[in-house]
Amino acid sequence: MTTAKPIAEIASLIHSIKIGLEGSYSISSRTLELFKKIIANKSWKNAQELMQLVQEQGRILSSALPQEVVTSNMVRRILKIIREAFDLLREKNKEYQFDDGHTTLSLHKLITQTSETSKDVDYSKHHDGLRDVLLDHLQEIEIELETSSENISAQAEEHIHSSEVILTLGHSKSVENFLKRAIEKRKFLTIIIAECAPECRGHDLAASLASASCEIVIIPDSSIFAMMSRVNKVIIGTHSVLANGGLRAACGSYTVAAAAKHFSVPTIVLAPMYKLSPVHLCSYEQDAFNILGSAEGVLPYDSLAAKSAKVYSPIFDYVPPEFVTLFISNMGGHAPSYVYRLLSELYHPEDIEM
Amino acid sequence: MPETHNNDDEVVDYFLQLLSKNEDMSSGIAAIKTLLMVLETSQFHTIHILQKTMLDAVEAMKNRSHLSIAAIASGGELFCRFITLSIGDKPIEECQRIMLDRGNAFLKKLLDSRKCITKLAEKFLKDGCKVLTHSRSRVVLQTMIHAAENNKHFHVYVTEGGKSDDKSGKKMCEELEKAGIECTLILDSAVGYVMESVDFVMVGAEAVVESGGIINRIGSFTTAICAKDMKKPFYVLSESFKFTRLYPLNQRDLSDEYKYPGKDSGKDVSKIHPSVDYTPPAYITLLFTDLGILTPSAVSDELIKLYM
Repeated sequence: MTTAKPIAEIASLIHSIKIGLEGSYSISSRTLELFKKIIANKSWKNAQELMQLVQEQGRILSSALPQEVVTSNMVRRILKIIREAFDLLREKNKEYQFDDGHTTLSLHKLITQTSETSKDVDYSKHHDGLRDVLLDHLQEIEIELETSSENISAQAEEHIHSSEVILTLGHSKSVENFLKRAIEKRKFLTIIIAECAPECRGHDLAASLASASCEIVIIPDSSIFAMMSRVNKVIIGTHSVLANGGLRAACGSYTVAAAAKHFSVPTIVLAPMYKLSPVHLCSYEQDAFNILGSAEGVLPYDSLAAKSAKVYSPIFDYVPPEFVTLFISNMGGHAPSYVYRLLSELYHPEDIEM
Repeated sequence: MPETHNNDDEVVDYFLQLLSKNEDMSSGIAAIKTLLMVLETSQFHTIHILQKTMLDAVEAMKNRSHLSIAAIASGGELFCRFITLSIGDKPIEECQRIMLDRGNAFLKKLLDSRKCITKLAEKFLKDGCKVLTHSRSRVVLQTMIHAAENNKHFHVYVTEGGKSDDKSGKKMCEELEKAGIECTLILDSAVGYVMESVDFVMVGAEAVVESGGIINRIGSFTTAICAKDMKKPFYVLSESFKFTRLYPLNQRDLSDEYKYPGKDSGKDVSKIHPSVDYTPPAYITLLFTDLGILTPSAVSDELIKLYM
């Protein structure tokens, strides 16, 4: 479908992610950095050309890295900024009355807007200063990215109180910072960490949280249910948040969420805004959604059983929205049913399909 | 007295004719077309009279048609609301012209809405999946046909659809088969039986209410309860002109004109079977509309924006 070739920077980003650049934050900030460079250095005459360029490269990114949705999210975000900056400039030049509902589809607009729909906007007109405005806006996103983890952990005090028992799973950077803040501020905390086999990243989290003022307990994934009855709160991170408020999170999250639901323990998910993704899970079949990791950790290749058994080690779990009590993002706390609203503010409806 | 040369009979005749001429047309669209005709052919002296005439026409269509009135009511209300929106201080002839232009633009957009929904919902029909649908819905039918044209293979279970007189489920089945889609006609009472073997439920709606719930052919609620219990997604396909300003909390809250339309209206309803039921939002996974894929809670947002 796409005939465009990836530019060198995109290719190298794809390469470095494939060989092991990890963490949604570093991936999204690298992506943003890259597009900033493209906008600043490439030659483009008008918004339309630029949008086409960004779309093409975004498509390459998303087809090369279908699991890394944060890159596509960043591309959508940039496209929206281009649209907004363009509209703002047009308004400044008195060519067009900017109305607030312009960027979102709504029933209200459907019936009031008669002539100009958003599809008709001609982005090919040249405007002076578009580049500068865009770079300013990108700077803002960059700051938002940089501060998002801090903004999330600043809310730790509101949610974690002294002598509480917190359960988490695996190792998420946001959860790590969040819990560190809580340990600083609160006393007598007990933090239970499910190790998340076979990679056992829970061990890393335990090592990084270890301090004299709180008790850290590591449990195997199989004892999540057994431990849940004494837990006050579940706090987990996620790989991305889907459009319906469901999660694509580390394998084992569904177990945690289901156990928490059973014992009516609130489940809090830390998800910075760049993880909100406007895609829906079209089917519950795993192959469209999951990837398989190395099975070596589950069953060593040279073991006897490996001859006769198939071994799988899926990476993700889909957690339905009804299992999530609250999302904490850098903008505050949101219920899963509110995610659609955040998404409509974050992205332009025409960019959802890339 | 308002001078209108459209009396109610003419309006209703036109409306019914539209529907019988075009099988594919939803009653909401037909209602809006009829209102446009009224707007075009009548003479008005004031906006007030114009509005009254429109409302009378909606009333007439509601009372006289044998169809379920939910779509007529919401389409009509939306249209009346919309054409009178911020007209300003202009002579009446000009107002009428503006309204007519707006009405036509509105209609054009509405006619595109089904295509929009088809595109969104089609992706959820995966190769090899099994779908349960209730009775006949044009937008569900179109989505499935479209998916089949794109070489998707899936199996559809169609319920007969409650009322025995109109054989809507059978009709749906025939139409699906004509498009080369495998389907099985089942009894409404077999919904629980087939639920374990389907991947999801996909139904249309006669109206979407403010809470995000739907009013649809009787039996939809039963299907939704079964789906919820067996943890199957329940998808609703509906054009946005079917969004209605109602907030029922239970079945009794639905007014009789919705439940007993046409020939049954005004009779003692204790012995008549209702033709629609209300499915609360808690049973609905997603709504596919021309405004995008919405969660039930997003519907009230849309309605608030409109009727603020």
